[in-house]
Amino acid sequence: MRPRVTSANLAIAPPEPKKECMNRQFSRRDFLETFAAMGLALPISSAMFDVKHPRGLDFNHVNSPTPQKYLIETMGGGVALFDYNNDGLLDIFLVNSGQLANPMHPPETFDRHDPRNWNRLYRQNPDGSFTDVTKEAGLANAGDGNYGMGVAVGDYDNDGFPDLYVTNYGKNTLYHNNGDGTFTDVTAKAGVAAGGWSCSAGFFDYDNDGRLDLFVTRYMIWDTQHSKICGAEWQTYCPPAEFPSTTNILYRNRGDGTFEDVSQRSGIASLKGRSLGVSFADYDDDGFTDIFVSNDGMRQFLFHNNGDGTFTERALEAGTALTADGKPLSGMGTVFQDYDNDGRPDILVTVLPREVYALFHNDGNGSFSYRSLQAGLGLLSAASSGWGAGLEDFDNDGWKDLFVAQSHVLDNVEQIDHMLHYKEPPLLALNHHGRFERADSGITSAIAGRGAAFGDLNNDGWMDVVVTSLGGEPLVLLNRAGTGHWLSVSLRGTRSNRDGLGARVQVNGQTRFATTAGSYISSSDKRLHFGLGTAELAKVEIHWPSGVHQVLEGVKADQFLEVREPEKS
Amino acid sequence: MSAVLLSLLLALQASPSPALQHLHAGVEAEKSGQLDAAVAEFQKATDLDPKLASAFVDLGGVYIEKHDYAAAIPPLKRAVELDPSLEGAHRLLGYALLAQGYADEAIPHLEKTHDVDALGIALLEAGRLPDAVTVLQKALVQNPNDPDLLYYYGRASGLLSKQVFDELEARFPDSARAHQMMAQDYAALRDVPAAEREFLEALRLRPQTAGLHLEFGELYARAQQWDKAAEQFQLEAEIQPGSAEAFYRQGEALVQLGKFHEAREALLHSDQLKQDMPETLYMLGKAAAMDGDDALAQRSWAHLLRVEKDTPLAAQAHFGLAGIYRKQGRASDADHEMEEFRKLQASAGHTGDSPK
Repeated sequence: MRPRVTSANLAIAPPEPKKECMNRQFSRRDFLETFAAMGLALPISSAMFDVKHPRGLDFNHVNSPTPQKYLIETMGGGVALFDYNNDGLLDIFLVNSGQLANPMHPPETFDRHDPRNWNRLYRQNPDGSFTDVTKEAGLANAGDGNYGMGVAVGDYDNDGFPDLYVTNYGKNTLYHNNGDGTFTDVTAKAGVAAGGWSCSAGFFDYDNDGRLDLFVTRYMIWDTQHSKICGAEWQTYCPPAEFPSTTNILYRNRGDGTFEDVSQRSGIASLKGRSLGVSFADYDDDGFTDIFVSNDGMRQFLFHNNGDGTFTERALEAGTALTADGKPLSGMGTVFQDYDNDGRPDILVTVLPREVYALFHNDGNGSFSYRSLQAGLGLLSAASSGWGAGLEDFDNDGWKDLFVAQSHVLDNVEQIDHMLHYKEPPLLALNHHGRFERADSGITSAIAGRGAAFGDLNNDGWMDVVVTSLGGEPLVLLNRAGTGHWLSVSLRGTRSNRDGLGARVQVNGQTRFATTAGSYISSSDKRLHFGLGTAELAKVEIHWPSGVHQVLEGVKADQFLEVREPEKS
Repeated sequence: MSAVLLSLLLALQASPSPALQHLHAGVEAEKSGQLDAAVAEFQKATDLDPKLASAFVDLGGVYIEKHDYAAAIPPLKRAVELDPSLEGAHRLLGYALLAQGYADEAIPHLEKTHDVDALGIALLEAGRLPDAVTVLQKALVQNPNDPDLLYYYGRASGLLSKQVFDELEARFPDSARAHQMMAQDYAALRDVPAAEREFLEALRLRPQTAGLHLEFGELYARAQQWDKAAEQFQLEAEIQPGSAEAFYRQGEALVQLGKFHEAREALLHSDQLKQDMPETLYMLGKAAAMDGDDALAQRSWAHLLRVEKDTPLAAQAHFGLAGIYRKQGRASDADHEMEEFRKLQASAGHTGDSPK
């Protein structure tokens, strides 16, 4: 049996490391590999995160499951990480779902008056604790009749304060950030209520006019009166194909506080889907942001931005519609970022077990190839169900790692199939030059993971995560940090939208596409995080949505850098 | 019934007694569908002549027509007592007894008539499973397209298999085979830890058992534990170097693990051992494509399409070829393959929706 090293026998000196190792910084991976090479068990935990329960963050998601197995009950739990008061600290917004007043008697009436069913805004305090500011921020009214799903964040009026868009089964709500710690419901004026069952949404500037537009995914046509229960011995939620598909919505920002529904004119509404996730990037480098939509139980959508206000759906010919075997995916969450540092945005889609999280590699000629198995996702994900996801460099080694909130859709799946699990721990997989390998996240308990948002909560240069749990408390995962260098880039657009969403930012050979969207019904820190490994200086290149190309040389590592877009080229 | 009619005619010619007249009237009533009247006539005939076997046969026959099997049994029993050579009486009595659940009692009567369909069912119901399997097999040779027979044959075979396994467990509970059988049961229940425990015990007792690693690997594959599956399939391939299936499953698992080069080797070997297997050809193409060997992928999928034209695997091969041609810049070839893929999807009723 291999000897186990404990604090009690650490006095036994390990073999001396090779001299060349002594002269460079030791990364977390170096550390782990050295110990492994010695054949030793780790004397300390190698976990990436500390699971925190910060003081003041007392949210408990209410999804109110009913015997009727309404599908909405298993889909909610959005989260946003954003700095609503511009004090430099990320705050947390959590979307609650609500409760049917009387599940047995349609039509549905969802109770949102009870404070237990409110969405919640938690302001971060300098000591890392949080204060619930929902009521004073004017966010207590979630809209009676709405069953909450997700959230998108974007500064749609370029006033420097991020605004909130909350998606619901019911009507969605746009909250304008007044800049004084309060928000105003401007949905009616803005004309973005949508309706039906909305899930993920995201702000982006599709026409490069410097104003953020809004994309809203909708899952299906469903209501309690047309609900179904599936299963035989064990009754359970029905698969999506049991319900009619529906269209997604694109709202164009007119710049006067109102939006125009351009779903038809743009071509977005030409296809019906069962859409759950949305992510944005310019995959063909033509200067216009494209849209990837993850659909549940059918082919995925890749809307190519034609640059003239219209989109063409190209997933099938681009190779992102189906798996390598030509099979549809149960697409849920999605990420549109470059995982292999070739400068082109790739697409990740989280799915149900017995599929594999889909990774579509951008081959650079407008087409993608299915690389899930090459990237190691066959081993990592074939037995899991994924929702919110992110490609972030958690160990600051210069490669984006993978984090996925996991849990099966069916709360009684273990009774139906003993090989599957309802609750699962989230997946953390470190990126080894384009291949992912499971790592210890530090989360020991299984949860019903749904939303996931990413950002540097404590501004220490290491990416943190907030994961929601359906019907439970969120997990705050603080990165334990290490020794690698880092750079956090904030964009200050002048000709482009104020936060530079849609910009392509390259730092020392890595590329990120500026976005708060992606994951599943969640919104992440708008700052762009780069791990620099041992590099103490960085070259920063920014391709702004306006077309401006900006280069900064010799940028010092380990800082929060704000870059202002040049006024003139 | 023709023997009965013949005896009736002979009896009428010899002695047109009142009993025979009622018998004749009963036959006429039965012919015209007046079953109650027929019963009454046959009853009178048996009352008048309690030794008239044919009247008892006809009375039982009419009760059977009326689905009153309980009432059919006494006259039919009386008929075979009076004349044990009446084959029709034995057949009808066998049916009636079987219908009433007296399978053991029905068997000797059905054996006399060589009625293999009913005899097989009776043997099955009586729990004489090996005999039932043999007889039903004979019956299926005579009526290969009878769904009822197929059902009973399947049921008998399944029960026999279970009976044998139960015996194995009872007599040799600590044997490798008993543990293997338990593992299979747990695997069917999708209880992976319990199945794993039993497979490991079976392997500990008899490590070289052919097929055991294959079954163990299949358990892991169903549980999506592809690394463990690959290990088991490799062990099976070492024990059975001539097993195309072991190499195919090993290749499939290695593809899932992203080990495409090793997967290709295993799949090529499987293809050599057993050629023209569509699954092997598809997986070989997939492994080759993912390993960057487009030429081998094209060859494998083209070969597959010569073997199969309109199956799901053929559709997948068209989809794979479309991807390769698109990558090579052969747009029209890619479009053609995608069109073939779409056609097959449409003909299979797939609209891009997952069945889940």
